[in-house]
Amino acid sequence: MKLLITLSLRNLFRQKRRNILLGIAIALGVTILVLANSFSQGISDIMFNKIMRWVTGQVTVRFNEKGRMNREIFRDKERVMALIKNTPGVLEADEGAGMFCRAIGNGKSDNIIIVGVNTSLEITEETKKELEDSFRLIEGGWKDLENPAINNPVIVSEEKARFLNVKKGDVIRVRFRNMFGQDQAARLTVSGIMKNDNIFMQPVVFLELRNAKLIFGYKPYETASLTLKVKDAVKNSAAIADSIHAKLKPGVAVIHALTARGDKSSVADVLGYRSDEESKKKLSALLKIKSGSVEAALKKDGVVIFNTLAGALKVKAGDEIKIGFARKFEETPAEKYLKVSAVAADNPELKGNVILVNDEKFYDIYYENLPKPAPEAFIPDKDGSWAGLVSPEWILLERTANTEEAKKKYIALGKKKWKGTTIDVSTMYETASDIMKLEGVLKLITLSAVMVLFFIILLGVVNTLRMTIRERTREIGTIRAIGMQKNDVRHIFILETFFLTLFASIAGIAAAYISMWLLSQITFKMSDNPMGMLLVNGHLYFLPTFTGIAGNVALIILIAVVTAYFPSRRAANLSPAKALGHFE
Amino acid sequence: MSIIEIKGLKKDYPLGDTKVHALRGVDLSINEGDFMSIIGPSGSGKTTLLNIIGCIDFATEGSVMVGGHEITALNDRQITDIRLNKIGFIFQTFNLIPVLNIIENVEFPLLLMKKHSASEVRKRAEKLISEVGLSEFARHRPAELSGGQRQRVAIARALVTNPDIVLADEPTANLDSVTGDQILSLMREMNKIEKTTFVFSTHDQNVLKYANNITKIKDGRCATE
Repeated sequence: MKLLITLSLRNLFRQKRRNILLGIAIALGVTILVLANSFSQGISDIMFNKIMRWVTGQVTVRFNEKGRMNREIFRDKERVMALIKNTPGVLEADEGAGMFCRAIGNGKSDNIIIVGVNTSLEITEETKKELEDSFRLIEGGWKDLENPAINNPVIVSEEKARFLNVKKGDVIRVRFRNMFGQDQAARLTVSGIMKNDNIFMQPVVFLELRNAKLIFGYKPYETASLTLKVKDAVKNSAAIADSIHAKLKPGVAVIHALTARGDKSSVADVLGYRSDEESKKKLSALLKIKSGSVEAALKKDGVVIFNTLAGALKVKAGDEIKIGFARKFEETPAEKYLKVSAVAADNPELKGNVILVNDEKFYDIYYENLPKPAPEAFIPDKDGSWAGLVSPEWILLERTANTEEAKKKYIALGKKKWKGTTIDVSTMYETASDIMKLEGVLKLITLSAVMVLFFIILLGVVNTLRMTIRERTREIGTIRAIGMQKNDVRHIFILETFFLTLFASIAGIAAAYISMWLLSQITFKMSDNPMGMLLVNGHLYFLPTFTGIAGNVALIILIAVVTAYFPSRRAANLSPAKALGHFE
Repeated sequence: MSIIEIKGLKKDYPLGDTKVHALRGVDLSINEGDFMSIIGPSGSGKTTLLNIIGCIDFATEGSVMVGGHEITALNDRQITDIRLNKIGFIFQTFNLIPVLNIIENVEFPLLLMKKHSASEVRKRAEKLISEVGLSEFARHRPAELSGGQRQRVAIARALVTNPDIVLADEPTANLDSVTGDQILSLMREMNKIEKTTFVFSTHDQNVLKYANNITKIKDGRCATE
């Protein structure tokens, strides 16, 4: 092999001018390919790691109470957080809280998005640097957001501050409608100004997470969403999201309560029942009504108790009972009154002290007064008739693979009118898979254009090789006569093409890096232009990757070698006698 | 003892719609250690005969035994191995590999054999280069040598594998008479030193004095003198 490589390399340098010209053409193609791929990779990186990552997190867990899009709230943050934090690959997990607001500055008003930021969270140096690169502060500091002496300190973008005519120390008044639909107002104090080239990030106003939650109306144990940073996001995000999704399978929602009417009382387990049409049909068949009617039992405020409990409390349909239970996060117990719609005969699969409540009413009580977990509470057999009929703690939405599926899921969510809280686990790669598609399309366009270029170049390779073979016919005859096997002759020419392409590719990569450096030195002022989002600090951003470049070079070399194979084979198959008798 | 045994050898070349009968039934026997000359005018079939003996061309008909092998029955790989291990070639136009220097040119067949270590290859090549008197040009490229020197390199290359037979197709045709004489003297000397059979073609009557066995060939037929 060493002999073949020596011969190939020396022959390559023998026809310098011809090979240099061909090499320049290949190098030019490689330069364009690497440049274009690095640019599209850069766009993806900006979109995902410099925008989406801060907006949605690499993996996001979203909560929508009663399935309503604007009601982003989950009442037991720590429960989900505990599950997530133990998931392998999760580096950082934090709450997400954001709200669209109308802001009034000094004589001017505009829309802003208040985003809660947890400045006390322990973040890695890498995250800190990424944060500082993405949001460059020109006045104030992130720690100013924690200053208790300032009323709701915020950091606003330079452009928004200019538009609202505010400067550091000024007050911005905001109005917004919170997740429960209530109109709220607040006063924010500008404590920092940041510079951001991305027009879509300019309306963002950062407020310390605790302050943001307080303003928005969240209790400390509640959250709007959870955002995660994961290890090697591109590779692992989907798998980690799947793993979290699997951990979030809901149990049965149950309130272990003390129920009373007059001087009679009894322990009861309150369960919600699903109120969709299919479930109602099954319930109608299962409930043997003794007092009241099935219709009344299945109404949206329907409450069904069974014979045993009805007997203990001495109640019939139409009577009111009181339930009281300990709450998980509040010290005072909850007390609620339920009007019994129907009394049913005891069911062999349910305990006699069960109270069934229509899920619409049940979730109102359950979520607003999250009950303290009670291991002794009755839960129907998971394989029994009631398993699919009682309300779960929450509704876990199916995982989706791309933006299209995610859109369909959210459209369905709007139509479905879930009564419970929906939980959706997604990654930024699927919620914004269109960006990846865009990157893919850009790469495909570039590759197609460059392939056309390479096709032309490869015609040159074939022609050059044919010319070379013609010029070296007698030499081929000589080495075959001396005793070189056909395969080795073929390998010499293939190796020549391989080395030519390899050297040209290396030169092309070097030229691409130089071009990227030169292009990234140019400063663009595009803060008012959406195209500015493609810039980092006003400069073009390229992200060459080893695998991308290696893949491109491997493809080009493969094409060149395949192209060279046929003329090389022809050279190897020449009859030695004819080759030796060849005259130019 | 015959090292080459040819019987009823015919070779036809297609030329348009007709056939050229280059060899019309050659019977020839060459003994081990011979220094044999095949003489004849241009177009008489000398080169064709040498090419077939050298396994670089195929017979249309007849039998060709080289070193005990019937070469007409072998495939390309086996024939290439015979060329490498049993035969050395010296060409009229020297046919050195221009991108290799002199010592590399001489080493080339040994490297193809893949039987010897790098130091053995180098030692053997240096010995041959010394025997042909070109030690001081060992690192030169062929283009830097005269015609006579190049043919000396070709002789060294042909002998380096210690072949049974060396075939030389008009080795002096591109050389002046003085250099030609030197080359033939060298070949004769190497024939004695290395005990190798030499078969060379020529149309020059003056070179016959070097041969100990002469075959005349004319119109594709031959007669031994």
